[in-house]
Amino acid sequence: METPELTDYRAHLLDALDDQPRRAGEERPEFLQVLVNHERVGTLNCAHTDPSFTYSARERSIQHLEIRNESGVLVGGCVAPEAGQKSVRVPIGKGSVAIEVQNHFDGGSLKLQYAAAPGWWSNLASSIGFSSATSSPTAATTPVWTMTTAFAQIVLAVGVVALLAERVPNWLNAEDRAHQLEEELAARQSTQEQIDRVHQQLAQLVEAQAAAVAVSRSEQDRIAQLNALVDTVALAQQKLNTQVVSVQEDLKTVKTDVAQEVETGLRVAVNTVEADRELVRQDLKSIKSVNETLIKQVALLESRNRELHARLALTSLEVTKANAAPKPAVVAKGDLPKETPMATPVADGIREADRQAFMFWVAFQDGTTEKSIEDLVQELNGIKKGPMKSGWYSVEVNLPNPEPPDRFLESVKRAKIVKSVVTSKAMPPAQ
Amino acid sequence: MRDGQIFSARLNNVVTTEREFDELVAKSLPELLDRATGQTKRFLRETNQWGDDITHEKLALRWGYELVERFVVFGRTEVPCRPFFLLDSLIAKSFSQPDPLCYHKELLTPVGRFLDGLASRAVVSRDALIALFYHFYGFSQAHVVKLLGFGQAESQRVYKNFERWRQTGWQRTMNETGLSGSEIEVLEQELRTKPDHLNHEVDRLMPVLQSHYRKSEPEHYPCLSEQKWGQLFHDDYGHDYRVWHLAFCRDCFLEVADRRQAEVSSGLKPQVNLHIHPLKKGGVLALFGGDRGGRHHGNTRAHRLSRTSA
Repeated sequence: METPELTDYRAHLLDALDDQPRRAGEERPEFLQVLVNHERVGTLNCAHTDPSFTYSARERSIQHLEIRNESGVLVGGCVAPEAGQKSVRVPIGKGSVAIEVQNHFDGGSLKLQYAAAPGWWSNLASSIGFSSATSSPTAATTPVWTMTTAFAQIVLAVGVVALLAERVPNWLNAEDRAHQLEEELAARQSTQEQIDRVHQQLAQLVEAQAAAVAVSRSEQDRIAQLNALVDTVALAQQKLNTQVVSVQEDLKTVKTDVAQEVETGLRVAVNTVEADRELVRQDLKSIKSVNETLIKQVALLESRNRELHARLALTSLEVTKANAAPKPAVVAKGDLPKETPMATPVADGIREADRQAFMFWVAFQDGTTEKSIEDLVQELNGIKKGPMKSGWYSVEVNLPNPEPPDRFLESVKRAKIVKSVVTSKAMPPAQ
Repeated sequence: MRDGQIFSARLNNVVTTEREFDELVAKSLPELLDRATGQTKRFLRETNQWGDDITHEKLALRWGYELVERFVVFGRTEVPCRPFFLLDSLIAKSFSQPDPLCYHKELLTPVGRFLDGLASRAVVSRDALIALFYHFYGFSQAHVVKLLGFGQAESQRVYKNFERWRQTGWQRTMNETGLSGSEIEVLEQELRTKPDHLNHEVDRLMPVLQSHYRKSEPEHYPCLSEQKWGQLFHDDYGHDYRVWHLAFCRDCFLEVADRRQAEVSSGLKPQVNLHIHPLKKGGVLALFGGDRGGRHHGNTRAHRLSRTSA
């Protein structure tokens, strides 16, 4: 979007940026506002005897430092690493501010020290080699240079004093000048010799100074290299710390994920087991109910069975009675079998029914052979019904006459090989 | 165009000395401003704060300008560097901070931009800070000095450069905020015709604005209770605190102004009273609520307080 209004605004901002250095320099620094991370944290009074400012930040490190004058113009500042140290000197007006930032990940500290520009006398003094200990920041780092300079100053002062001592009395005593001409010449000669010696000493001093300066420069270079090395190490350490933090976070994430997966798996397995258990429980219930039904049916069948037994016994008795009562008639009419053709079949039918109805269970002595058993069964006119079950044989017999089954069984029991006899028709007796 | 391309290429290369940096930056200001503006637009778009209109364009330009201003000053301490890379890192670092922009849709109106411009300037300029009392509430130097309980020395200290605000500071702030002369005239017109409406609007926007810029307040400058304010004035300490906090906190200001009505010599309740232009030297001042935007209503009193006041 390009409109004249926008273009004008952009042009104005560019003018302001262009004018910024001039604005920064035009106001005499007195109160400097200090802003850390765009927050105003205090002021630095440059007119104070000790124009310094310190600040400590908690929670956040000092990343942006702005120094503004009272009217808000940005006159200096720097950006600092999130962790580590930064030392810079920024020019403010005619002076300068030394900035020292020491950051760590959860805070930092800041120190500002304003140094006013040296006055004309200081400049002059420095130009002629007279520097005070406070105004020369390199004095502490180059003691050789300082000592050499001091020595040179002393030698120069001694030379000047000697010359003055020689000449001033001469100036004061002008009348005796002619008389003292020779002495003056001699003195001048000796002074010249002294000056020559001073020149030689000065030359030696200059050489010593040059050597000291070279040493100082090499030391400064080494310090600069060391600073660069320290910065590199700090950066590496910072990167390492960042990586450690990221790895720790990753580990935490992985641990959390694994725990969640295990928990989910366990929950699913438990749910499955619970569902299976519920199914089994339902199956058991249904089986139990079926079992109960079966027990009831078995009990019903047993009761019916007993009823049938009772009926059978009753029927047997009735049949026995019936057989016993008409026997004489049958015997009397034995000669007329053809006249009563229907009576015999009825009687035979009853006998047949009686013969087929009696079945009993017999157990034999140990060691009884199968043949003996077969012989006994044949002797009884019986038939073995089914295989042996738990030592019991079921035998169905045709009773030879309508005698009571008990008597028949007694006769069976009397056989030597027979161990026991029972009459249960439903199933073999339990042992 | 060709020069721009040359400078763009050079801005990608390493600059080894401060002098080289200064020279290159001085010649490349348009490229740097465009780059910073573009990054700001991208940030606004990505945070769903962008609108395709001239107001948003101006906002992006304004923030781009502030970023480049910091870059120009900070960059000298980062030599050797690649200027474009350094600018990008500076922008990224700025935008990674919480709420870097004071963005609110209602602050994009002319009155919102006016208030925003004043407040953002007051964060860094003591002249603008002390002027807030006049622009927001119509308080002159005499009022402010009495309200804040300052003596003569303190009064001179905080108002010593106020003339500079009157002469250049206010206009520069308006220019850098992007408020054109016609927009300011419209505001003046509205203040004359509908002062209550405009003051109500200001009253509504002030908490939004102040809560953003008050984050610039140091940690030990919270809102105080009525009792603690009283103690602070009674024991006569915390002068910087009074100026800073009361200029940026409407609630505390109204509470303190209400409490100190006797000292300020006014029987009326203090309230928001917008003033667009700075007070002319020797102008007629209005006391609390008596004058809305320089216009007198009915029999409300106007007091000539001081011809030398700011």
